[in-house]
Amino acid sequence: MTRRTVGTGDCRLGSRPGEVIDRSRTLEFRWNGAVHRAHPGDTIASALAAAGVRVFSRSYKYHRPRGLLTADILDPGCLLQVGDEPNVRGAHRLAEAGMDVRSQNTWPSLRYDVKAVNQVAGRFLATGFYYKTFIKPERLWPAYERVLRRFVHAGEVPPDGEQLYYDKRYAHPDVLVAGGGPAGMAAAVAAARAGATVMLVEQEHQLGGHLRWGDADDLRVRAELVAAVEAEPGIEVLTDSVVAARYDDNWLAVVQRGLPHVAERLVKARAGTLVVAAGLIERPYVFAGNDLPGVMLSTAVRRLLNLYSVRPGQRAVVVTANPEGDAAATDLRAAGVDVVEVDARHGRTVVRAAGRGGVEAVELSDGSRLDADLLVTATGWTAPTSLLNMSGSNPVYRPDAARFVPDPAATPDTVIAVGGIAGDGTLEELVAHAEAAGREAAARALSLAAAHARIRPTSPGGADAAERAPEPVAPLGLRRHPELFFATPIGGFVDMSEDVSAKDILTAVQEGYDSSELVKRYTTATMGPAQGKLETVNTVALVAHATGSTIAETGATTWRPMYTPVTLGALAGRRFEPVRHSPMQPWHEAHRAAPLVAGQWIRPEHYGDPAAEVRNVRAGVGIIDVTPIGKLDLQGPDVPKLLNLLYVNKWSQLGVGRVRYGVMCADDGVVLDDGVTGRLGEHHYLMSTTSSGAGTVWEWAENWLQTEHPDWRVHITPVTTAFASINVAGPRSRELLARLTDVDLANEAFGYMNVRTGTIAGVADCVLWRIGFTGELSYELHVPASYGLHVWESLMAAGADLGVAPFGVEAQRILRLEKGHLIVGQDTDGLTKAYSAGLAWAVKLDKPDFVGKPELQWQSEHDDHPRLVGLQPLDPTVVPEEASQIISDGGHIVGRITSSRMSPTLGRSICLGQVDAHLADAGTRLTVRLRDGRDTLVEVMAEHAHFDPEGERQRV
Amino acid sequence: MSEPAAAVSTAPPVARTALAFPGPRRIVDGWELTARHATGDLVLADLGPLVKLTVRGPAEGAVRAALGTGFGRTARHDEGALAGALVVGAGPGEWLVLGPAGTGGELLAATRAVVADSGEFASVVDVTHGRALVRLTGAAAPALLAKVCAIDLADRVVPDGSAFRSSVARVVTDVVRDDIRDELDDPAGDGTARTRSYLLHCERSSGQYLADALVDAGTEYGIEVGAPPSAR
Amino acid sequence: MMLLPCPNCGARNVSEFRYVGEAKTRPDPTTATPQEWRRHLYLHRNPAGWTRETWYHGSGCRRYFAIERNTVDNAVRTAGATS
Repeated sequence: MTRRTVGTGDCRLGSRPGEVIDRSRTLEFRWNGAVHRAHPGDTIASALAAAGVRVFSRSYKYHRPRGLLTADILDPGCLLQVGDEPNVRGAHRLAEAGMDVRSQNTWPSLRYDVKAVNQVAGRFLATGFYYKTFIKPERLWPAYERVLRRFVHAGEVPPDGEQLYYDKRYAHPDVLVAGGGPAGMAAAVAAARAGATVMLVEQEHQLGGHLRWGDADDLRVRAELVAAVEAEPGIEVLTDSVVAARYDDNWLAVVQRGLPHVAERLVKARAGTLVVAAGLIERPYVFAGNDLPGVMLSTAVRRLLNLYSVRPGQRAVVVTANPEGDAAATDLRAAGVDVVEVDARHGRTVVRAAGRGGVEAVELSDGSRLDADLLVTATGWTAPTSLLNMSGSNPVYRPDAARFVPDPAATPDTVIAVGGIAGDGTLEELVAHAEAAGREAAARALSLAAAHARIRPTSPGGADAAERAPEPVAPLGLRRHPELFFATPIGGFVDMSEDVSAKDILTAVQEGYDSSELVKRYTTATMGPAQGKLETVNTVALVAHATGSTIAETGATTWRPMYTPVTLGALAGRRFEPVRHSPMQPWHEAHRAAPLVAGQWIRPEHYGDPAAEVRNVRAGVGIIDVTPIGKLDLQGPDVPKLLNLLYVNKWSQLGVGRVRYGVMCADDGVVLDDGVTGRLGEHHYLMSTTSSGAGTVWEWAENWLQTEHPDWRVHITPVTTAFASINVAGPRSRELLARLTDVDLANEAFGYMNVRTGTIAGVADCVLWRIGFTGELSYELHVPASYGLHVWESLMAAGADLGVAPFGVEAQRILRLEKGHLIVGQDTDGLTKAYSAGLAWAVKLDKPDFVGKPELQWQSEHDDHPRLVGLQPLDPTVVPEEASQIISDGGHIVGRITSSRMSPTLGRSICLGQVDAHLADAGTRLTVRLRDGRDTLVEVMAEHAHFDPEGERQRV
Repeated sequence: MSEPAAAVSTAPPVARTALAFPGPRRIVDGWELTARHATGDLVLADLGPLVKLTVRGPAEGAVRAALGTGFGRTARHDEGALAGALVVGAGPGEWLVLGPAGTGGELLAATRAVVADSGEFASVVDVTHGRALVRLTGAAAPALLAKVCAIDLADRVVPDGSAFRSSVARVVTDVVRDDIRDELDDPAGDGTARTRSYLLHCERSSGQYLADALVDAGTEYGIEVGAPPSAR
Repeated sequence: MMLLPCPNCGARNVSEFRYVGEAKTRPDPTTATPQEWRRHLYLHRNPAGWTRETWYHGSGCRRYFAIERNTVDNAVRTAGATS
């Protein structure tokens, strides 16, 4: 393949006063394989246009050639693939050395379209084709997808593409100004001078808005305003950035691009006052051939001429209805272009652009035909009111001005519109209005800050500004503008991103979709990358025409976030996914523990063979890291009152040094949590909770203390990770632990369900519980967390001759299932009340009050609730999957398996399950539907425990 | 029936903080710490060994008076029973008392005495081992924190000597602004120059994650991890 | 994201809080009929307008507090401790 180098010069003009390119330097990039040159400051599109490129893409549905229309970030015709990055706005992205730029999804190539494509497409692409085709037959869906994919106007994301870093940060400006044109700059400077911190956000690469492509006066005013902005240290300027969304209380999503360290950054800004200075967007005109390359808006032409010094054509027809269009004609003439002006203020407009691959001739409404390679339209403006809509203010249509304008009465006090979006005037009037608005924005923001400071404890100095009521800003007037939306006869495209034609809109209305919102969804008009900023008003005008109503009656569709399409990377940004580790984590990792993610905790699931870990606990001694078990330090004379309230069982008689198992229920009687609580001293208790329930129980207890019993003298301190928790379990656990502690472990001195404090492996202030979840003699050690690894390693070293081995969560689950101990949240669910969980023994209805009592009283008097039962499959090799359903002869669901494992101790499968009351008697045989559809029989056992039901082994 | 305890000698206890960073470590006063000395403009230091006590009591009253500060502010005690301690008003009726490493026994006793003398219902819990504590020092510290914390760190909101609790990288964290004297760059020569510094205090098990998140967010500012820049 | 004015900490992002529910008085469990009790448990007013509700500032002061909030526009009228 031969390499062709294209110069920067073919259509490049001589140096111009407002140009943003650096002619002293040249860089090279590739466009569809060919090397092109650009100057720094050029966009990809301006560099290509300077080289004479007119066609940038093929359209979405019909594969029509498309060129520059707006020559800015909204341009529907130049979404490009740059390297791995799809959908790059070619008229916004600056050209960089070495860029590999390609047109997107041009098939087979940009230059040579396949007519067959249109013919094949024809049957699909009627109005609302999404809904009319691809419905049946379903078996053809994969084929439809392949065909559709070929037509989709989007780039490619290579699966092995470069990983980019997307950043996120918070910001707290008093005033955030969205838009860095003259009004935005003036408002920002005024706000900063009034004492506010300001964030000024501009979508383009420079401040200045339309002044940048204006005349000498415009350039002078721009320079003065930019200098004023730069002189204010309180203004943070973000260019190449966009305020993408506004949410409650001025929570603003700002996407910042073009940064050195990161791909993009999402700034989550909380502003006191939002000043919307988004300017006006020039509206395309709808007529036959309006999508031909060479049809451009007046602003596009002036951008190309005055920012990039690119001549957009040789012979131009300028259809103008406003001074900006007139200025474009003047600028074109000054650049040596032949210009014919068509004054649309007097009823003359264009009805058709003709040509193959680009404009060759223009037909006017008076029947005349002009040869031209450039057709410029200046037929009106659209106020991009998105941020105002997101603030709850719907714009109203003003036929005299031919645009929707914000409704100040409906705009919240925290939002002020300035500049062209708010109204019209001379530059001086617009700047003066913006300055007044900026001062008012600052005053409102500082008043709000003062209100916040009053209740904020970190700034006890109090308010640094007085609070004051908002004052209105005198509104701007509106300039008369003719209503120009579409030519007659109706033709051409209303949405060039989505390839929606004007006739599609008429067809949709004929088919009954007679409102803007319905037409939008049916035709997809306004749903493309420009998000309606170019298309909405023309769509509404066509709907109004087709329904015989006015534009005001028809109304615009709702503008929602985002203001402009945002990359998923920017939204995902820096991810915060906290994980929690125990102090023994380095040991677990070094010993190849399989990690188990349990909530935020990373825990050892096993160390290779959970069944062997179970056998070692039953026969010898094992140790498990149970640090995530919730622990709450309770202090105060009223702790027993709290325990009696939260637990269903009784706590008044618990002696110092004793521990007790307790069950908590919610007010509806549903089991909330369980655990043991020990009394360490007269007014000092240590409560344990399930690992997953630690936070819930703490907040639950605080809720009762703070809202129902603020007079109770109880302090709760969460100490879950103040201790590393190690369970030493197995018949030889006493022998092992005795080697490391000064606590007398003799059964008479430290019996089952007792608690002691003492020293372990030289570490003082350890708490030892004698309890048993595994069913074996076991001690749960709570060690000051900094010494957890030391104690763990000491246990492993001291017990080497006893065969001590670590066991993980999986072995613990098997051990507890062999013992029939329930796990709250696994063997119970959000409907399981205490009696259904087999906890009748714990519920003390003779207590005066406890949480859940009324519902448990009710449950105790009714026998129709499900029961938790031990179950064993008749075939001991079958382990029904957890959550398998238990079904009746008639096929109804009568229960489910809540826990199931193969028991290494018993050599058979064992289960817990919930079954309907009448099926809970021991010996009942039940049918379990397995996942593969087969059924298996299980038998209801007399006890939950499958092993040592009397609990002898843990009391030795 | 307990068997006679076999005499098993174990290594002397070594305490470890919640944080482990790559590289050499050393043992100081029974604590294993990173041996790196950070010298950059933005430093994250592990203060895990500091004594940490939580105190609960009436938001206003004798306990508050003795501790010297209330919710949202800090007090550094240079003399008296709590000499050497930094008291942080961590919540309404909730304080965090931080003391130099190794002073756990005395500080706990002194704080308990303060509480006992108050005659109010108040309590003290030693959470030295239950929390992670780091110090982030450098002019870029607020910019770094703005990437992980939604609270405005401007002087008018969080001045030196103030404290708040909020979400930092989705971990509930006490943030204490405790600027340190800048001895190297003190143009006035009167010890008034200060370098921005924040203490961040969270539950121990989340400490490594939080430190990793801070280092990640601080990469663009050249963050370094190492021994604390000052004794505190 | 709306701001919620915590009476202790000041205005904070609502993501720092947990919505507990409409603030209401727990009936006396010793005298409440099952019907009254279940009305308390399961029936909520859920008005379009002002409602008194309880929030928990889990990422801040860890206090429960009551506010009056207008569910139509999220305006908050008063704030104070539940107790």
